[in-house]
Amino acid sequence: MPLLRSLILLFSFIAGLASPAFAQGDAETLRPLINELAKGKYAETEQQIGALVATGDPAVAPALRALSAGDLFFRKSDGQVFITEKAGKSYKLTDPLTLETQGEAGRRDVKKIKVNNKLRRVIRSALGSLTLMAADPKVRRAAAEAVFKAQDPDSIEALDTAIAAETDDAVRTVMEQARAAAVLNSDLEEAQKLAAVETLSEMGNRSALSLLINVRANSEGAVHEAASSAITTIEKSIAAWDSAQNIWYGLSLGSVLLLAAIGLAITFGVMGVINMAHGEMVMIGAYTTFVVQELIRTSAPGLFEYSLFIALPLAFLTSGLIGVGIERGVIRWLYGRPLETLLATWGISLILQQAVRSLFGPTNREVGNPDWMSGAFELGQMTITYNRMWIIVFALLVFAGLMLVLKKTPFGLYTRAVTQNRRMAASMGIRTPWIDALTFGLGSGIAGIAGVALSQIDNVSPNLGQGYIIDSFMVVVFGGVGNLWGTLVGAMTLGVVNKFLEPYAGAVLGKIFVLVFIILFIQKRPRGLFALKGRAVEA
Amino acid sequence: MTRATSLLYLDGVSVAFDGFKALNELSLTVAPGEMRAIIGPNGAGKTTMMDVITGKTRPDSGEVFFNGAIDLTGEDEASIAELGIGRKFQKPTVFESHTVWDNLELALKAPRGPFATLFHVITGGEKTRINQLLDLIRLGDKRSELAANLSHGQKQWLEIGMLLAQDPKLLLVDEPAAGMTDAETAETAELLKDIAKDHSVVVVEHDMVFVRALGVKVTVLHEGSVLAEGSLDHVSANERVVEVYLGR
Amino acid sequence: MMSSFLFRAMDARAGVFLAIMAAVIILVPACNLFVPEESPFHVPTYAVTLMGKYLTYALLALAVDLVWGYCGILSLGHAAFFALGGYAMGMYLMRQIGTRGVYGDPILPDFMVFLNWQDLPWYWYGFDMFWFAALMVLLVPGLLAFIFGWFAFRSRVTGVYLSIITQALTYALLLAFFRNDMGFGGNNGLTDFKDILGFDIQADTTRAGLFAASGLALVLCFLICRSITRSKLGKVLVAVRDAESRTRFLGYRVEHYKLFVWTLSAMMAGIAGALYVPQVGIINPGEFAPANSIEVVIWVAVGGRGTLVGAVLGAVLVNFAKTWFTAALPDIWLFALGGLFVFVTLFLPKGIVGTVSDGWTALRQRRISSDFGEGSGDPPAQPPQSPAAQANVPEPVPATSRAGAVHPQPAE
Repeated sequence: MPLLRSLILLFSFIAGLASPAFAQGDAETLRPLINELAKGKYAETEQQIGALVATGDPAVAPALRALSAGDLFFRKSDGQVFITEKAGKSYKLTDPLTLETQGEAGRRDVKKIKVNNKLRRVIRSALGSLTLMAADPKVRRAAAEAVFKAQDPDSIEALDTAIAAETDDAVRTVMEQARAAAVLNSDLEEAQKLAAVETLSEMGNRSALSLLINVRANSEGAVHEAASSAITTIEKSIAAWDSAQNIWYGLSLGSVLLLAAIGLAITFGVMGVINMAHGEMVMIGAYTTFVVQELIRTSAPGLFEYSLFIALPLAFLTSGLIGVGIERGVIRWLYGRPLETLLATWGISLILQQAVRSLFGPTNREVGNPDWMSGAFELGQMTITYNRMWIIVFALLVFAGLMLVLKKTPFGLYTRAVTQNRRMAASMGIRTPWIDALTFGLGSGIAGIAGVALSQIDNVSPNLGQGYIIDSFMVVVFGGVGNLWGTLVGAMTLGVVNKFLEPYAGAVLGKIFVLVFIILFIQKRPRGLFALKGRAVEA
Repeated sequence: MTRATSLLYLDGVSVAFDGFKALNELSLTVAPGEMRAIIGPNGAGKTTMMDVITGKTRPDSGEVFFNGAIDLTGEDEASIAELGIGRKFQKPTVFESHTVWDNLELALKAPRGPFATLFHVITGGEKTRINQLLDLIRLGDKRSELAANLSHGQKQWLEIGMLLAQDPKLLLVDEPAAGMTDAETAETAELLKDIAKDHSVVVVEHDMVFVRALGVKVTVLHEGSVLAEGSLDHVSANERVVEVYLGR
Repeated sequence: MMSSFLFRAMDARAGVFLAIMAAVIILVPACNLFVPEESPFHVPTYAVTLMGKYLTYALLALAVDLVWGYCGILSLGHAAFFALGGYAMGMYLMRQIGTRGVYGDPILPDFMVFLNWQDLPWYWYGFDMFWFAALMVLLVPGLLAFIFGWFAFRSRVTGVYLSIITQALTYALLLAFFRNDMGFGGNNGLTDFKDILGFDIQADTTRAGLFAASGLALVLCFLICRSITRSKLGKVLVAVRDAESRTRFLGYRVEHYKLFVWTLSAMMAGIAGALYVPQVGIINPGEFAPANSIEVVIWVAVGGRGTLVGAVLGAVLVNFAKTWFTAALPDIWLFALGGLFVFVTLFLPKGIVGTVSDGWTALRQRRISSDFGEGSGDPPAQPPQSPAAQANVPEPVPATSRAGAVHPQPAE
């Protein structure tokens, strides 16, 4: 059998090198082989599979896969084999080679080709070797990974051939790892196995770890020793990567907190105004994104990839204008009465929530992710999703932008002046009411663009803002009022602490711990991490 | 004068806010029964000194002793007030939604605990004392008026009345004449002199006419430490004092 | 001493309030139980329960008013104390179910059987006895408030900061009580109660009794609050509210005063919660929601903070409006409530009772001063005043806005 197999592989190897036209195969030469599957019992089926694999043509892969999954049927009337999919009472038929739909068939008209676990194993390894030589590196890689999972010693030779022929370094590494896994499951000599343990140890991830743990349990002597030490090494590195992943999750949560809190830091810190409707500004930003995407969907679908960039300025303007309206209409009458401001803005938040509920309905609205926001990539042992990554980048950009506005523009200068000494600023000719309104608008506008970002990771519903308001206050209070750097550090610290607590305490308890921690922290440092000091504070 | 015989004893007191030295090695001694005027330009550390004595601000270094033996740096505002140091603020602060009478009743020397006040019933002695004070600060006919409705000068006086009601050993009075007319200033000076007969008083003031009217020993503060000490004439003759005040 | 303490609570306004309450406590149950159903004076049972609920809300509002109106502590977490009192009562009612539950376990409540718990958690011990549960209704909120307040007031967390951490407190409890392994029924809370003190909880007589108990609790707490606010302690509280640091410099230990009213107020909220639960028949973690706490504050603001009658009136009025709106115009209710917040803070800072009594005082003073103007004689001796100062006296600014302008509570 191994001999046969290697012959097959050799053949398929040559086939792989030969013209692609040959590799594509001729549907008409393959079809009789496939139709053979309809006949005979398990033993025959195994031989038939072997014959299919012997063609070395990847085109037989879908049929084999379907066979393994129990989706391969033959038509009783003419013995034609089809891949089927259940559709109501009948089956949808698909040609196993061309993959075209071939109409439907009643339940009684078709019969399933039986398959057992032994056959499945054969198919798996056959598929592995079949695809190890495919033209597409992705397919080769997937095949190698399949072999790794199967740990089939029979594939070692196939892998050796494939490794020798492989041109892509990354794929070759995967193949070598697959080979190592297979070697450890074989009865090859010790030296080979030690080398394999070495390979797995370098691989260093969870699947290598679980494999090695198996090896340790089933081996003796040098291999056992080597596996044990490799396990220790891998466990250490996995722990380190886990921490890194946790930090990443923490930073991601922190940047969400930062986005939600930074607008609040301006209105609360700079102006001393408690804006309980801040969360609703975030919510309005998210709904602006929704509306923008709806418009794009109906009138200019091509722009969907840019929808967020269109939504950003609009969300800033919408929330900002509403903010200015709130300041002019309500808050300016309440300066110096922070508790009343708190109550009035809470009332406004109720009104805004209900208004959005009346306009858009109480249920979640679907906001889509553009392609560049979806998906993920691997960094070492970490998985990094694009949407989280862009939100971290975006949060930091917003922070930097806001810092620039406050430090480098005349508006920022006026704002800081009003913050420090309102009366003096007024005497210097600064129109303090305008600065108040604009600062409030700025804070609200930033909440709006935070809403655009949050629409990508959270449910867009009228209650969106409520979920963030308490957390945002915690961030601002923890970081220290009137200090944007404090908000940054506060948000990131709370995010990371939260994520580190989660594995031990669970998400809810972790959050409770964080809340209790902040309550205690405020006792110790009533003005937060980065407190303003001196006489100015006392006044 | 040594610490043991002093009423108030500050030695080498320093306070810094974010690097700015509000008090810099300040040393000052007030004898029992003495009345002392403190003058100095803006930012000289007068109010910060009051804050340190009354426990509002903790000194970074230095000693503050009351009655020769009690270390004030470890006490909070309430216990320092209970020890017998009363303070009048620069800006008159009275309880605006209480009547003049209630303001005085609250200030009156009596047990300060929540349960003591919960079951407190005003005694005849206390009523007499409040009436005396009302006469002294000339607010007798305003006794049931809300403090919010008093004029600026009346509030200053009410606050002095509250200070007296506490019956402290030492009164710290911050700019009592601020915002007063000349006549009022003169009367306030008389009132303070009256009070000084049986209390120790430290007065912080800008108004030189007022300080002259008091006719007591003067301490000049500058940049958080003592620049000169002595009679008003003596310190006005001091070159450095003139320089500091006139900016020469 | 005690008699003078209680005697202080009485005056004309308190008398009117007590008379109305007495009438309500007697008439509502009577019209429910003794007036035949076809009579127009019959009060249906659902209305008794509804009004009973209002009374417990009024008690909660009273508790909030005591700390906010008189001491300036804006609590956004009183729902936590209310809910804790409610849970203590709920635990008693759960244990009264006994074998009548779905699973018929004599000791374990249904939800514990459902979660496969074998033993009763230790903190459920004793709740089969009413006196113990009643004690816990007071102690649990009181102790939590004491510990929380002891930390917060000692380190001088004030103003907005305090409000925010009270909100964080109730939020943390909300999350905690949602967890199944806390042992309080998780999401569903405690419900399906059967009887209280041996009486069927659904019976009309029990409902009427609970209504009367709520009314009596309200009256009792009203009298306690009133004696407190009219004592010297009450004056100190107002002093703390208006000028906290001045009060310290007079030698009052502000944190002790705050702790006293704070704890007392939490206990009152606990009583309110305990009376609320048997009337509505359920307690779940939703009661901890921060939004509930803020709503209580608006009841007080509407009625008039710093006036005890106002708190009661506000709670009843707003909740009556809520019942009506949510039945007739459910979509409008949040607009109305939100608008109420804005309107009251902008235009009615003293609330209904405060504004009315201000107007009354102003009217009376005008009459007095006109009488005085007609009389002869020298004006009484005035202390020296500057002309500017004199011009200040009749300034017609309402006291609150002036107090706000003079002593802005810094947003620290």
